[in-house]
Amino acid sequence: MDSREAELSRVVGSKIREALDAEAAAGDEIRLGRMRFIDRVTTRQVSHAFERPRAWTVTFRRLSFGMVGAAAAVAAVFVWLRLPISFQIDSDAGPAAIAGNAGDLIEANAVVPTALRFSEGSSIVLERGGQLRVLALESNGARVLVEKGAADVAIAHRHGPGKWRFEAGPVTVDVTGTRFRVDWSPESRSFGIELKEGSVIVGGECLPTPRRVQRGDNLRVSCGTPATSTTAAKMDVAAPAPVAETKPARVVAHRDTHAADVGDWRELVAAGRYAEGVHAAERAGWSRVCRSANAVELLSLADAARLSGETSRAVEALLILRQRFPGTTSAATGAFSLGRLAFEKRGAYTEAARWFATYLDEQPRGPLMGDAVGRLMEARDRAGDHTAARRDAERYLQRFPEGPYAGTARVILAD
Amino acid sequence: MGPTIKEMVTPLTFARSDDELIDALRSGHPGAAAVFYDRYATSVHRTLQSVLGRDAEIPDLLQDVFIRAIDRIGELQHLDQVRSWLTTIAVFAARAHIRRQARRKWLFLFSPDQTKQRHLEPPSSDARRALRETYRTLDTLPANERIAFVLRFIEGMTLPEAAAAAGVSLATLKRRLSRAEKKFVARVRERPLLEQWLQEGTRWTLEKQS
Repeated sequence: MDSREAELSRVVGSKIREALDAEAAAGDEIRLGRMRFIDRVTTRQVSHAFERPRAWTVTFRRLSFGMVGAAAAVAAVFVWLRLPISFQIDSDAGPAAIAGNAGDLIEANAVVPTALRFSEGSSIVLERGGQLRVLALESNGARVLVEKGAADVAIAHRHGPGKWRFEAGPVTVDVTGTRFRVDWSPESRSFGIELKEGSVIVGGECLPTPRRVQRGDNLRVSCGTPATSTTAAKMDVAAPAPVAETKPARVVAHRDTHAADVGDWRELVAAGRYAEGVHAAERAGWSRVCRSANAVELLSLADAARLSGETSRAVEALLILRQRFPGTTSAATGAFSLGRLAFEKRGAYTEAARWFATYLDEQPRGPLMGDAVGRLMEARDRAGDHTAARRDAERYLQRFPEGPYAGTARVILAD
Repeated sequence: MGPTIKEMVTPLTFARSDDELIDALRSGHPGAAAVFYDRYATSVHRTLQSVLGRDAEIPDLLQDVFIRAIDRIGELQHLDQVRSWLTTIAVFAARAHIRRQARRKWLFLFSPDQTKQRHLEPPSSDARRALRETYRTLDTLPANERIAFVLRFIEGMTLPEAAAAAGVSLATLKRRLSRAEKKFVARVRERPLLEQWLQEGTRWTLEKQS
């Protein structure tokens, strides 16, 4: 490198590099790129599926437009049916649901549960402190590893039989369409499953043979320590059964068909069993429950309804909350939740903006203020009120220059 | 405040080394693609940003580079060269983008929407204004010369590294560099703000003029 070149490299290169590094958008761009990349990776089977028929179309080019159109429609349906399902992770701990990736470890923190919503309608609510991974996604199911804790599972039964498998330690659960609760403790190597609907096949090295578990069954399996393997493990059966001492695992099974019926919705919601809690409240009379619950209970019930996909129930509970407890912090939080539901579940951006503005009017210094301003800005922008959105963006950046909506705010201001 | 959802999602931790990661990618291990992206996205982003400057299409190009990489993962011979291999793919993606942009400008010459600078943020400092001017200057260079200039002077690569990243011989790279350097210096003189910014700390551009 001669001296002139070295000077050019030093001055131009270092200055430009420094200025580029000072740009704040790198993290946002990398995150956005990641989202698009993962989306493309998960859906690329579609493009590959289209590549093969492309060669065919050369052969059939002379066929009538009608026949080609019909073939394309059939191919599209075929591809659509083979599309791997996707899922989103939703929790009160974050500003919005995010796309989930196969293989990632998903943890519900100690305060709020985490819901996984799959594109074909199935859902998993991971309870507080639980950990799981979605190991693989297929067109009609997924393989899920419960690493720790409990999860409420509801598998949708659409487009024919599903192909879902849950794994917890050495135990496997093969599922079609059903609802159940599964739990696994890696410390005690204890597995449990409680069937609410349908049936599943539980297998794995802990059980001598795969076992069908039906609605109302509550199966608990103790797998012993990993080192002892199956030979050292013991098995007891609570109810009389032909398996006694000769079986290598501890299995306790009993039938409790009325468990869900007698459960109090408050206890179920507090235990993170949201779908059950909502159903219990419905059985007890939804309106009556909403009119007797206190403000905090109403917020919990609305959250349970939202997390279990019962949007209209959540909206109803929140509107009653605002009607019964006007002017309280809970009512303001209810306004924020209503805005979030309008934005995320219905794409009703004008309505969402109204609710976020209501929260800010009622709680200008409230704990959700930053999130409310960011969401208000985004809702107004999407609703076409760009002037107000720019104003919100300025307000947001002034207060939270490094906040989670800062990138969006800058884009709005640059447009 | 509790952790955000993103903090609650931990990338798959099966691959500790590049070898394991590439093996996992080749065998279609679930989650390997995400780990691959997370490990190299910053480096690829830096290359794209150096070549293109601020550009709204960088997120798309970023994902495009990784999709191409996964498609060609079988071609990767030396596992210790993942980063430079990705840099080459990024450079090719950036060059294609520059050429696309040039065609678009020509086709939509009279459409302000199509030809306006697509920076996300307005200039708010001298450095940012100078950065914009720099890339406007680089926009006037042919794509291959611009890439040679950027790899050598902004990315700070050695000549052999820059030649490998651009996919050309050392001699070709040197020729392109020489042409790019002359054109860049001549065009900087037409932009007083940029010249002043670059002169801070050196007399290089004025010496070239005399």
